[in-house]
Amino acid sequence: MPGFLDDIETLVPALRRYARALTGNADRADDLVQDCLERAISKQSLWRPIGPVRPWLFKIMINLHRNDHRKRRGSPEPEALELLSVEPASPATQGARLALAETAAALDRLPVEQREALLLVALEGLSYAEAAGALDIPVGTLMSRIGRAREALRTMVDGPGPRLRSVK
Amino acid sequence: MNSKTTITEADLNAYVDGELTPERLAAVEAHLADHPSDRERVAAWRAQTATLRSLFGHVAEEAPPARLSPWRLAAERRRNISRVAMATAAALVLVVLGAGGGWIGRGLIVPDAAEMTLVSEAEAAHTLYTPEVLHPVEVGGEEGAHLTKWLSKRLDRSLILPDLTPEGFSLVGGRLLPAARGAAALLMYENRDGSRVTLYVVPEAGGEAAMRFTTKGDLTAVSWQVETLGCVLVGSLPRETLTKLAKASYGSLDSGANI
Repeated sequence: MPGFLDDIETLVPALRRYARALTGNADRADDLVQDCLERAISKQSLWRPIGPVRPWLFKIMINLHRNDHRKRRGSPEPEALELLSVEPASPATQGARLALAETAAALDRLPVEQREALLLVALEGLSYAEAAGALDIPVGTLMSRIGRAREALRTMVDGPGPRLRSVK
Repeated sequence: MNSKTTITEADLNAYVDGELTPERLAAVEAHLADHPSDRERVAAWRAQTATLRSLFGHVAEEAPPARLSPWRLAAERRRNISRVAMATAAALVLVVLGAGGGWIGRGLIVPDAAEMTLVSEAEAAHTLYTPEVLHPVEVGGEEGAHLTKWLSKRLDRSLILPDLTPEGFSLVGGRLLPAARGAAALLMYENRDGSRVTLYVVPEAGGEAAMRFTTKGDLTAVSWQVETLGCVLVGSLPRETLTKLAKASYGSLDSGANI
């Protein structure tokens, strides 16, 4: 147990980052992390994860978030405003700040499966194999979700332009 | 360039994510060299990744709030589990009492039962470890800083180990023990005559309780609670000596919960 708790303690910052990006809301994100840790600790007494702990924790968090998301589907999402006031850690010009805010808002409008997949790989740096394992999907499905997420974000942020026509 | 027919959108994504094999990587790079629109696409995706990281990267650099400490959550879980067990036990006591003696003792039995468990755990630990010559403690008093850090972490409280040298007792060291509600710390002190006293410390939810004396054989226990720590000092020494030691410990041990 001590080794396990030490392991998950080092992963809490990354879990908070992922949860923040996934929910777009600081309080909901930390609630999600807390639920995830509680679930992990209670499961751990019965079952020790085989292999690395990190994808296993993301898997728990994603499942909790999906349940939560399903429950609140239909109710309007109020957090778009908060996203627009996100202050990046590094100073940015007006234009860059606007681009950040637009990306944050666009991310929030992505279908949740695309957001989960893109953030695991692009933000958290999981390998395709780890991310596919955390999402319980084949690598091919993961790749197509990431591809769709990237193009959708690009369309939402830059607007449809001539450069966007994809080369098939 | 015959590579263009074989490069898919998935390849471009895998290229951005560093997931290509060396051969595939070479093929994608050759393709990008003469496909400016795909080059732009790849550049845009990379910029997107950088934007995502600058939007959320700072969250991972913040110190997480205390409520997200896995140690604390594990301790809470243990407390909740034993609280259910304790409440069940207390309910049984009340049912038995209620059947036999009406309402006498209601409100007295429950805290006393918990406190008595604490005192008897402390006495048992004292009896078991003070006669030890070779291994009275797990971590010696000379490693004070390490001992403090270790026990604080395991009890999820910021402990300050009492200095009883003004009373003529030096710290032998400490150990971690299983207790009814998770973990307990046992600190052992010794005077020049070789008399040993132990201080048994368990995390509590919060509250205050005045010092209480319990005598069993030649052992005397002084128990009290200050904020989020329950403490029992045990020794076979005159009551006045133990009171002095308990008072010296009382002020210094607790520096509040690690919250």
